[in-house]
Amino acid sequence: MRVLVVEDTAELARQLKQRLEGEGYAVDTAADGEEGRFLGETEPYDAVILDLGLPKIDGLTVLRSWRRAGMAVPVLILTARDAWNEKVQGIDAGADDYLAKPFSMEELLARIRALIRRAKGHASAEIACGPVVLDTRTGRVTVDGQPVELTAFEYRVLSYLMHRKGQVVSRTELTEHVYAQDFDRDSNTIEVFVGRLRRKLGVDVIRTVRGLGYRADEP
Amino acid sequence: MGWTESLRFRLLAGAAVWVALALMLAGWIIADLFQTHVRQRFDAELANHLEQLAAVLETDADGRPALRQPLSDPRFRRPLSGLYWQVGESAAAPLRSRSLWDSVLDLPDDRVENGGLHRHDAAGPANQSLIVLERFVLLPERTEPIRIAVAADRAELAGVTRAFNVTLALSLAVLAAALIAAALIQVQIGLRPLSRLRDELTEVRVGGKKRLDGTMPTEIRPLVEDLNALLAHAEEVVGRGRLQAGNLAHALKTNLAVLANEAGALDERNARAVGPAMVRQVELMRRHLDHHMARARAAAARGVPGISTPVADCVAALARVMRKLHAASGVDIAVDVPAGLLFAGEREDLDEMLGNLLDNACKWARGRVGVTCRAEAGGMLSVTLDDDGPGLPGDSREAALEPGVRLDESMPGTGLGLAVVRDVARLYGGDVRLDASPLGGLRAVLRLPAAAG
Repeated sequence: MRVLVVEDTAELARQLKQRLEGEGYAVDTAADGEEGRFLGETEPYDAVILDLGLPKIDGLTVLRSWRRAGMAVPVLILTARDAWNEKVQGIDAGADDYLAKPFSMEELLARIRALIRRAKGHASAEIACGPVVLDTRTGRVTVDGQPVELTAFEYRVLSYLMHRKGQVVSRTELTEHVYAQDFDRDSNTIEVFVGRLRRKLGVDVIRTVRGLGYRADEP
Repeated sequence: MGWTESLRFRLLAGAAVWVALALMLAGWIIADLFQTHVRQRFDAELANHLEQLAAVLETDADGRPALRQPLSDPRFRRPLSGLYWQVGESAAAPLRSRSLWDSVLDLPDDRVENGGLHRHDAAGPANQSLIVLERFVLLPERTEPIRIAVAADRAELAGVTRAFNVTLALSLAVLAAALIAAALIQVQIGLRPLSRLRDELTEVRVGGKKRLDGTMPTEIRPLVEDLNALLAHAEEVVGRGRLQAGNLAHALKTNLAVLANEAGALDERNARAVGPAMVRQVELMRRHLDHHMARARAAAARGVPGISTPVADCVAALARVMRKLHAASGVDIAVDVPAGLLFAGEREDLDEMLGNLLDNACKWARGRVGVTCRAEAGGMLSVTLDDDGPGLPGDSREAALEPGVRLDESMPGTGLGLAVVRDVARLYGGDVRLDASPLGGLRAVLRLPAAAG
C-alpha cells in the first residue's frame, strides 16, 4: 500500500514516514501544497494524509482540486485546526476522515488502515483468501492459523493483492503501489517477491494471469 | 461607484433636480400669464383706437366720410409705424391713415349685421403681420353703414413678450443658482456632525480617547451609542482574552515544569516509567488548550446583539461529518430538527457544543443516534441527543460534566468535551444535562437561548 504524506513540519513528516514504513506502507512525503497536489495527481496512492496549513497552496484547496478532478483516493486530514466548523469544512471539501493534532500515532494508523480497507470494499480488519488470513491491524499473516514471517516488501505485495482480491493487478500497478516514488524500481523484482511469497505461503492463492498480471483468489 | 455614492452628492443632486423642475414650471406659468395679459392690453388698446376713430368720423360737404380731427396717437402719422386705421371698403379707395402710406388694409369680405367688433389677421405693408379690429358704423346723413378698422403689427406684441421672457429666464436662473448655493450650505452644515464623528473615531483609534462623547444630533446618536457599545465590548473581549491567556499560560507552565523534571530524570533504566508520565503531561496540556480555546471562542461571541444560527443547518453539517468520522462503526444518525429554529449565538459555538455531544453519542452508540430540536417556553430551545450505547449510571452523570474527567480511558477523546459544552452553554445562559435515553443509552439535553425568526 502506498501512502502520501503532505505535511510541512519536517519533524512530524519524518516521524509519520518512519512509522508508516514500519507498518509496511510505501511512503512519499511532500512539504508544501503545490508538491502535494502534483504528487497526488500523478502517482496512484492508496491513501493520503493531508495537513491543512501548508505553504504555497493550503490543504483544503489541494483537496478540492483533487476531488474536482475526480480523484477518489481516501484522504485523512491531519491538522491542528480542531474546531467542529473546521471539521465540517474539511469533510465538505471531500475528506474521508479528520484527525486533530496532537494525535496518537496508533489512532492515526488505525484510521488509515480502516480508510484503505473501506476504499477497497472490505468491511472487516481481517482479509481472508482461502486459508490465508491477513490482519491489517497487526500486519500478521497466517496460513491455516499458522503465522508466516514475511519481509516488508513481501507483505506489501501480498497486502495489495489481497485488498484487491478477485481482481487482476498488473505488474506496473503492483510496482506503483509497493514502491515509494524515490525508489529505484525494477518490475522483475516483483516476480521474485511473488515467487518467494508463493513458497512461504505454500498454498496457491496468487495466480499469474498471463500477459495481464496477478490475481489473489481462493485456491 | 465613487462620487455617486457620496452623501453630499446625493443631497445636492436631489436639491438641484427639484429646484430646476420647480423653477421651470413657475417660469412656464408666469410667461403664459404675462402673454395673456399683454394680449388683452393690446386688444383693449386697439378697441380704444377704434372707438376714437368712430368718434371723430363725420361726413363732409361732398357726403364722403372724413375725420373731424386727426387721431391722437402719433404712430398713425408715421409711415409703416405698425399702427393703422382705415375707413371704407378695401376695394373702393378707402380713407386711411398716413402710416399706411400707399397701401390698403386688405380686409376680408365681411358683412356684419349686428354691428359688433370683429377681429382678423391680415397682411400689412412691409410684410407686417397685422391684427385687425373692425366694426361697421352708421354715419349721420348716410344710409349705408361704413366699415372702419384699426390694425397693429403683431411683431410689437411678440417683441414685448420676448423681452419679458428673457428677463424672466435670467431672473429664474439667478434664483436657481441662489437656491442651489443655499442647498450646498445646508448640506455642508447638515453633514458636519458626520465629519466630527469621523474625527472622534480617529481619536479613539489613535488612543487619545476611549469613547465617542461629542453631543450629536438625534439621528446619529443611536450610531454613536452602538459604536460605544462595540468599543466597550471590544475592550471587554480583549480584557477577557488577556485573562484567558494568563490562565492558560499558568496551567501549561505547571505541566511544562513536570515535563522538564521528567526529561531531566530520563535515562535508560527508567525510560519505560517516564515515557507514560510524559505522555500524560502532554495529554493534560492538550486538554488545557482545548478548554481555553473553546472558552475564548465562546466568550468573544457573547454580547454581540442580533446574531442567530439556524440549528437545522448546523446539525445537518455535523451529521455529515459524523457519518464520515464514524464510518467504521456505521452508526445511523436520525435527525429531526424543524427548519426555522434559530439559536441566538455564533455558528462556531453551536458547532462546538453539538459537535462534542454528537461525537460522544456516535462514539458510544451501538448503531443508532437521534437528534431532535424543539422550541421551549421563555425564548429557549432544546436540542436532545440520544444514543443506544451503554449509557451512564445516575451518579456519574454530573461527574462527566466536570473538566478533566474521562470516565473511560479506553475510548479516544480528551474527556473535556462535555465540560466545554457546559461552559459554552452557560456563557449563553443555557445549560446541558445528562439523562437516560429511551434508546437505552445516554441522553444529553442542551438548552440554549432561541432567536426570533
